[in-house]
Amino acid sequence: MKARVVHYLNQFFAGLGGEDAAGSPPGDRAGPLGPGRLLSTLLAPEAAVVATVHCGDDLAAGDDGALVRIIELVTAHRPDVVALGPAFSSGRFGLACVRVARALSDRGIRCVAAMHPSNPGVDEAAGLTVIGCGESARDMKDSMERLARAVRAVIAGEELSEEHGRIGPLARVTVVAERPAAQRAVDTALALLAGNTGLSEIPPPEFGAVEAASPLDDPAGATIALLTEGGLCPVGNPDRLPSARAQIWLRYPLGDRAGLDPGEFMSVHGGFSTVWANEDPNRIVPLDEARRLEEQGVIGRLYGEVFVTTGNGTAVASARRFGSEWARELHNAGVQAAILTAT
Amino acid sequence: MSPLDYRLLVHRVSELVIGEETAYEGGRLVAGRSQLEGLFADPALARVSLDVARPGEDVRIVKVLDAIEPRAKEPGSGRIFPGLLGPAQPQGRGDTHVLRGVAVITAGYLPRAQEAVIDMAGPAAELTPFGSTHNLVISFEPAEDAPWEAVDAALRRGALGVAEHLALAAVGAPPDEIVRPPRPGRCEGLPLVGAIVNLQTQGSFKDVLVYGRSFGACLPVLFDPNELDDGAVVCAQYGHPALRNPTYIHQNAPVVQVLRARHGVDLSFAGLVLSPEPVGQADKVLVSALAARLCLLAGFEAAIVTKEGGGNADADVSLKLDALEELGIAPVGLFAEMAGRDGTDPGIVAPPQGSAALISTGNYDATVALPPVARALGGERLDIAGCGATDGTDLPYAALLCALNPQGWGRLTCRAA
Repeated sequence: MKARVVHYLNQFFAGLGGEDAAGSPPGDRAGPLGPGRLLSTLLAPEAAVVATVHCGDDLAAGDDGALVRIIELVTAHRPDVVALGPAFSSGRFGLACVRVARALSDRGIRCVAAMHPSNPGVDEAAGLTVIGCGESARDMKDSMERLARAVRAVIAGEELSEEHGRIGPLARVTVVAERPAAQRAVDTALALLAGNTGLSEIPPPEFGAVEAASPLDDPAGATIALLTEGGLCPVGNPDRLPSARAQIWLRYPLGDRAGLDPGEFMSVHGGFSTVWANEDPNRIVPLDEARRLEEQGVIGRLYGEVFVTTGNGTAVASARRFGSEWARELHNAGVQAAILTAT
Repeated sequence: MSPLDYRLLVHRVSELVIGEETAYEGGRLVAGRSQLEGLFADPALARVSLDVARPGEDVRIVKVLDAIEPRAKEPGSGRIFPGLLGPAQPQGRGDTHVLRGVAVITAGYLPRAQEAVIDMAGPAAELTPFGSTHNLVISFEPAEDAPWEAVDAALRRGALGVAEHLALAAVGAPPDEIVRPPRPGRCEGLPLVGAIVNLQTQGSFKDVLVYGRSFGACLPVLFDPNELDDGAVVCAQYGHPALRNPTYIHQNAPVVQVLRARHGVDLSFAGLVLSPEPVGQADKVLVSALAARLCLLAGFEAAIVTKEGGGNADADVSLKLDALEELGIAPVGLFAEMAGRDGTDPGIVAPPQGSAALISTGNYDATVALPPVARALGGERLDIAGCGATDGTDLPYAALLCALNPQGWGRLTCRAA
């Protein structure tokens, strides 16, 4: 029996128009459409494009309702595999392909998207299957051949790798092993003793390195900011700073406070006992000591706000974003140095 | 008979009911309600209630604290759970009765506890040892004004008492299996492989008791594995549901069980070292170096290191792996990965510097869709998900008791995709 492939396209390749049609709603039709005809020909005889689902990029890349509708349309055609694109270097089409593929993959539907390595969708596609292709529609024939090869490999049950033209970040996916971890650990110990190497199931993590800045030439003339990932917030946590997995950071004005009063501030950090932090919040953000240094003229002045988040199981991507937002804002405000207390 | 002869008399339980009087016969266990309730008589507890959750039943248990396998010593050969039920004296000899297929489970609110979930049916049931055991679930109400530490202690004493009380019903019954655990030592021509088991020791509600004492201020110790079978190590640790070791896991320590089973087959079981997980970095370095030194003195050629707890406990494994490697002992570490929901973050907070082999027990942050259930025990709310306890919800593996068990009970792992 022929494998059923559903093809996903944007408004442009579906023939609805260009930028002016970027808000066109999700739709579908039986059989291939536009470049899908080439795809279907390339997939024959093992597979065929049984339907095409399309949507304007603006909606597909950002609108929740449109995504739900796209998923309905795709699943109604009972696909064995969904092919998306090629999106070439079109950013919004690439992001739309990734968003749709992620939602379908979460429902256990196999997907293959094609886009140029420079497409911003590639960076968002960890754990999804993206095949590298040409930069623009001029490369359609070659790009579609690559996509069709990958779709055929997926139908054949292959796990796609770089050899299949796969690009983009890999993700760690949780799967069920044949043997319990305790057995695998013992197997591995014996294999190590037998002289085998390369037995780790976990690749060494790459955190990147941060070089400490050089000391200030003139701290007495500098503005210094206080920052923390220690979950500091006003008592009662009015802005709902999370105790773990923070995706936000908050700012609180310091005013002319000489220190952080336990009746006014607390910590909601979920990764350590907050008893001592709540007893004296200066232990999390040393405002009292910083004020003394300010009064003594050791430092110029303190920046007027403290930036806070919770560093507990926080995604690296979130932490990186907080860091660059803090750095940009402090830099623009003329702050020369910052003390970030970690817990 | 040598003074250290030791046998586990295993009774397989296929049915658990609550009745008037505790009794065991032919795989059927009756738990006597008032007898069990009497074990919780304590000024810190206002009330306990007992329920049964069976494998395959449409039931969820929320706010799980500990799980205990019912065990009792043959009268005259000592007392199970030394330091908590009996005197703090080494056990690990004589006969121990084991009710296999049953767990005594405590559930409810305690401060600092992170909410742990067990589903008895559906996709999460096979991710925990307790999805396939007949569970006696104990919920409780603390007495007014009772300090939480006293509530915790009373609950633990009661639950351990229940575990012993139930197993005592099997004394005299013909066991389904008799296990004679091998003593660690060299089998001619087979490499010596042992284990270092880290116990998370962060104070009240995040602690592990050894002979009834907090292990927090202790140094690593070379430990008779038979002591685990007799309950010398008891969980007082309610952090990280997927990464804590309930008492049941200590009683059935997965790596130790594998090493015992393969002793004389393809390896020699070299022994067991228990280590605390201190909170300070200098102390972590010290206990890691000492634990590795004990392994060397005991003749380990390879060691498997397991952890308990979240990110900072990664350092307790990694430092030991590096210390072992430095002493020429082949190091293998078990880790859960904390790779973020989409699996793209670095999975280990503090990785080893050397070339130790790392075994994955799955991604902490990946999620499982739990279906709605007919009935819930342990509470009316599933607070971590902000929904009712019987509702369907997506939960990270992190919230499922033992789903990523750091001692290697489970079969989850990660691969790059």
